[in-house]
Amino acid sequence: MQRDRVLSLLSPLLLLLIWELAVAIGWLNRIFYPPPSEVFITLSNLVASGQILRDAGISLTRVALGFLLGGVPAIVLGLLMGISASIRALFRPIAAAIYPIPKIALLPMIIVSLGIGEESKIATIAISVFFMVVLNVAASVLQVDPRFFEVARSFGARGTALFWTVALPGSLPGIMASIKLGMGYALTLIVGVEFVGANTGVGHLIWQSYEVYAIDRMIAALVVVALIGWLATVLLDELEYLLVPWQSASVRIRETRMQQYARTWWRAMRPWSYSAAIIPVLLGACIAAYSGQFSLWLLVLTLVGSIAIQGGTNLINDYYDFQKGTDQPGAIGTGDAILRGELTPRQVFAGGIVAFAVGSAIGLYLVSVSGPLIFWLGVISVAVGFFYTAGPFALAYNGLGEIAVFIFMGPVMVVGSYYVQAGTVSLPIVLASLPVGFLVAAILHANNLRDLETDRASGKRTLATILGRSGAQLEYYLLVGGAYLALLLLVVIGIVPWFTLISLATLPLALRLMRIAGSTSEPLALQPVLRQTAQLHLQFGTLMVAGWIVATMA
Amino acid sequence: MQGKITIRDLRVSFTTRNGPVEALDSFSLTIPDGELACVVGPSGCGKTTLLRVLAKLQVPTGGSAVVRSDDPARPTVGMVFQNGGIFPWQTVAENVGYGLRMRGVPPAERQPIVRRWISEIGLERFADAYPAQLSGGMQQRVGLARAFAYDPEILLMDEPFAALDAQNRLLLQQTLLRQWEGNARTVLFVTHGIDEALTLGDRIYVMSARPGRLLATFDVPFERPRDAGALRGDPRFSKLYAAIWDVLRDEVERSREAELAEGVDAT
Repeated sequence: MQRDRVLSLLSPLLLLLIWELAVAIGWLNRIFYPPPSEVFITLSNLVASGQILRDAGISLTRVALGFLLGGVPAIVLGLLMGISASIRALFRPIAAAIYPIPKIALLPMIIVSLGIGEESKIATIAISVFFMVVLNVAASVLQVDPRFFEVARSFGARGTALFWTVALPGSLPGIMASIKLGMGYALTLIVGVEFVGANTGVGHLIWQSYEVYAIDRMIAALVVVALIGWLATVLLDELEYLLVPWQSASVRIRETRMQQYARTWWRAMRPWSYSAAIIPVLLGACIAAYSGQFSLWLLVLTLVGSIAIQGGTNLINDYYDFQKGTDQPGAIGTGDAILRGELTPRQVFAGGIVAFAVGSAIGLYLVSVSGPLIFWLGVISVAVGFFYTAGPFALAYNGLGEIAVFIFMGPVMVVGSYYVQAGTVSLPIVLASLPVGFLVAAILHANNLRDLETDRASGKRTLATILGRSGAQLEYYLLVGGAYLALLLLVVIGIVPWFTLISLATLPLALRLMRIAGSTSEPLALQPVLRQTAQLHLQFGTLMVAGWIVATMA
Repeated sequence: MQGKITIRDLRVSFTTRNGPVEALDSFSLTIPDGELACVVGPSGCGKTTLLRVLAKLQVPTGGSAVVRSDDPARPTVGMVFQNGGIFPWQTVAENVGYGLRMRGVPPAERQPIVRRWISEIGLERFADAYPAQLSGGMQQRVGLARAFAYDPEILLMDEPFAALDAQNRLLLQQTLLRQWEGNARTVLFVTHGIDEALTLGDRIYVMSARPGRLLATFDVPFERPRDAGALRGDPRFSKLYAAIWDVLRDEVERSREAELAEGVDAT
């Protein structure tokens, strides 16, 4: 086993080495077969100049738009075809007839009707994805075991209940599989589509390099295409894990050790908590863009650094929670790898340190390009992250968790991200970050509200255990309600653009959560409140970011 | 006598690839309220069809099957399926709460009931697990808990323990006995195991080979509460067993011949 893994790593390296040597000795012509080292340098230059990122971004945008335009209607129609025999009879012959046509063959026809611009490229992808997904989705609905419909009916399920509890979840694995197929298809197509009549995109870069015989650039572009494909697979796997968790339990057996290892770490870092790390960074950058200063490269770096710090904090927390015995195997919703026996406490601790190191390295780079404020914000953030559960005066165990999270995952992060872009800071930026700060504190508080009894039993002093049940419920109202009040006030006094009021669309969810939080003390009933408060933060934050972007463009 | 379940001249026929099949013919049966009734018969005698008619999953061709509802607040019938029939896309807790959810019971009221039944079947640690992570026996326990949590007036059970190994079957029989003895409700339990019927039932109804008819009725004399493990030592157990087998033997052979002649596996 061990040796096989070494071999599988060695063979591609060996191939690259032979290639390099063959060019060096002169067996291969450097012009036609540029050596890997040269390709690497070309690729680095393309990255540094920003050209490859721009082209990849354009290609990805086309794929994403085509995929959404084709895939979403395909899933809807496919579901309808799976459920209703008449709709199936109406559409299946047409779909089945068009399906086998290679869609790239339609490109000239599409160009005739839509012109040579973006529309024709996106339409080609949308049409291809549509026909592939629609038939597969319909088939996966039909594959749901009819026994399950009978079970549901025997418990009184009718009509829409049958759809939501049997037809849809039963066909989700199949739908996911067809989405993956469709994505693979879209990625192959985009390159072909961009060969013809495009001035941008990775496909165009390949074609243009061919025309000027820049083979090194061509290979560099191919590497980027491969990376995009890999990234799409990883993201879709992750989506599958979220949407079809019951399947992943059995799928995971087929993974290699390496994949299991990567997944274990990924889960241990609790990726679903990253919206808390991502939203404030995006918000800060968007506010900077609104005032006319924006660099994509700096945003990407800030995001990676912020995610690393967040992941490191999660790992260190798990380590100390385990040491202090506050998380018990019987407790609900403990998401950590130590309790599941997947990682040893020492591994988790080491992983946390590595993540902090990566975050700090990026932080130092950002200090060098933007200024010393980042340094101090970073140092304090890391310290707070570390002493959150560690050390003699652990913030989380002394009722200071919400305040720490409010400050450091609200204003500090937004201000930091803004400062990286703009190099200055002012009071309005701090104020603009308050709504997000309220909601991120609400996530933590939802957690403490749920664990109130177990925390009290284990002597963990959270604000919830200190305030008691009704005080803690009031605190939840204040935090969630505070976000909306702060937003309204900020718009009224003119600090944030009125477009951000779109975040109010999340108000129904917020009200529902407050109602549940105030009506029960049952941990199992509060579990969804925690999850959905995190979603509320994500949705509210995303909409607010969208509001700033619209305001910037308007 | 007015029964909780009253079946008169029930006839059910299907059309299959090999032509029409009479699953049940002039089948009559009356089950009084609160009885744990066991139905035994050779495979393919229409036992499952009978339950499906009572659960309104199958429309009879002729005759009538009436279930009497006494409590408008509770569902009349609930069913435990052959190999659990639990949804792979729901966690153990979601599966157990499914019937309640379909009845419109709000989550906050559902939670305590679900938790009680999960602990009743000893799966507290698996409340958030998916069925794929459970053994067959555990899945069957979830199916049982789901039906009990639904709390129907009449519980229909379709060979629920057939696929389990002997030890697990004994344990689950014990669970069922304890539940039923604590809260007597009408149960119609279909099985092909004579010993299982003797262990559980108040009365045993023996069915003929297809098309299914009622052949004989046996009263089971064992006092309750029963111990599923100890009953087999009782001399009356083996006498009754022999008597029931006497009625069944010819039917089992007839049903085998019919299967061989048609070359199909009947329902």
